[in-house]
Amino acid sequence: MKVRTPQGDTLDLMTVNIGPSHPATHGTLRFLAALDGETIVGGVCEMGFLHRGFEKMVEQGTYSQVLPFTDRLNYCSAMINNIGFCKSVEKMFGITVPERCIVLRVILIELSRIIDHLVCVLANLVDLGALTNFWYFFNVREEVYRIWEKLCGARLTNTVTRIGGMYRDAYPGFEGDVLAVCGKVEAAIAEVRGLIEYNKIFIQRTKDIGIVTAEQAIAFGWTGPCLRASGVDRDLRKDEPYYGYETYQFDTIVGTKGDTFDRIFVRIFEMLESVSIVRQAVGKLKPGPVNAADARVSLPPRDNVYHDMESLINSFKLVYEGVRPPAGECYDSLEAANGELGFTIISDGGTNPYRIKVKAPCLTQWAAFAPMMEGHMVADVASALGSINIIAGELDR
Amino acid sequence: MSSHAAAAYPAIKPGLSKDVLAEALIARFGLVRDARDAWDLTLLAPRERLIEVVTALRDDAAWQFDTLIDLAGIDYLSYPGHDGPRFGVIYLFKSTVFNHRVKIKILLEEDDVAVPTLTGLYKIADWMEREVFDQIGVTFTGHPNPKRLLNHHEFVGHPLRKDYPCQKRQKLSMNDPLIDQMEARLASFGYTVLDRGEAQIAAGITVKGEGSVK
Repeated sequence: MKVRTPQGDTLDLMTVNIGPSHPATHGTLRFLAALDGETIVGGVCEMGFLHRGFEKMVEQGTYSQVLPFTDRLNYCSAMINNIGFCKSVEKMFGITVPERCIVLRVILIELSRIIDHLVCVLANLVDLGALTNFWYFFNVREEVYRIWEKLCGARLTNTVTRIGGMYRDAYPGFEGDVLAVCGKVEAAIAEVRGLIEYNKIFIQRTKDIGIVTAEQAIAFGWTGPCLRASGVDRDLRKDEPYYGYETYQFDTIVGTKGDTFDRIFVRIFEMLESVSIVRQAVGKLKPGPVNAADARVSLPPRDNVYHDMESLINSFKLVYEGVRPPAGECYDSLEAANGELGFTIISDGGTNPYRIKVKAPCLTQWAAFAPMMEGHMVADVASALGSINIIAGELDR
Repeated sequence: MSSHAAAAYPAIKPGLSKDVLAEALIARFGLVRDARDAWDLTLLAPRERLIEVVTALRDDAAWQFDTLIDLAGIDYLSYPGHDGPRFGVIYLFKSTVFNHRVKIKILLEEDDVAVPTLTGLYKIADWMEREVFDQIGVTFTGHPNPKRLLNHHEFVGHPLRKDYPCQKRQKLSMNDPLIDQMEARLASFGYTVLDRGEAQIAAGITVKGEGSVK
């Protein structure tokens, strides 16, 4: 398109669609760029290509039937979504899950955060042409998926929690597997840091690219690692601790500039903090029940169902009707891999949710992408997009 | 890597408890606490005072709700025992300075669903309001780009309304060319569009006298 610049020159801009189906978007995202040579003058983002109507679908089933849908939000760290949703419903009930369940959930959250960050960083580095890093990180991710397989039989979409507890207790040898994977994560991070930390090409491709200042990040409602990369030291695990996070020793990782480099390294160092949390949590893991002894949400012991009328009715009602949170409107959130993941649940006291609104952490990052890229080169789109980790399943719901 | 250690970001200050916040907001604006939220703090605000209340929430030194976390639109059409207005919009705010949160809820009658936009106060309100418009059909007066966000631009109706059938299908054809948004974006930097050129073809607008796309 022909335009007149503010300086009065006539310029021929080329409009280019990057996405919705492009290898570097890692999902169905569309970015329309107006280019002057290779410089992006203006950008417009579009979303919705993976919209499946999550919020409409979940109104059709029971609360327990929402859980498999939450797997499909951020499918790189499905367990955090499971736990986030269960935590919200448990808040409505006023249920505190047993200590063993809490510690198991902390381990699962932190391992999920690690694999989510691994995928984000490895894909980002592949976009920059650094394929070697991909294998170092993907191998460790596979190790974590082996644990998931043993734990619940599924790899990507786990549905591992239940309202009031877990699908089932960890298998014998779970702690050993988790500790072994912790060492492998650290080794892989050391390898990748050796490859990129002082790598001239990597630094030139990421330093000062896609800078988002603290003020801009807050105006766009950013949360999570991207906000911390912009220098804002805020983390729900520290600020509004849940699941006993205040008893764990860990640091929040904060960037200085808010460029692509900072966002990548905030994630890399956060993985090391998560490894530390996982180790501490394994030390806290004591035998005990994993499901709350609350007849409103948990199935009674199988033995009682066969010998006692009340337990039989209880089991029957929970299986055939489902749980009934008290009527009301409640919001609860936790620190997911991408930022604050929250669920606004509107309950009418029935067995089906009246309305569930997901606060998807990606949305705020994607909304800021076009202003972030204006003035940069078109080749920087891939690296900057990878660093804000947009997961289309969560973005479009 | 930079050799200068960055100044530590100030730690989060303890926020006001929900009861203290509620008392202050009720005293100052005459808001009503929403009994449906028994867990946290939701205040019902009249639509006419929304901008005033939210501006104060954001700018008052004791509150500083600088982050708009989410917008949730609700259709109360089939809510058992509900006899108030049909639609509700909940605004979720939190602060990066103080450790506190608040939710503001406005209720809207079915025949008057226009709400003033918050795009002047929070940049992210642009997209969040587009989503609420798309899903529930609440309109935001003064919104710079009142398009759908999640659904296709040819989509008819608002899927999260309770009278929208879950299994209904619609045939949708052309992609949104986005050229109008691009032109607005360029205009905001001071550019004037002289000729749409190929972008016009991409937008599906037939150009007389020209052949195929070069």
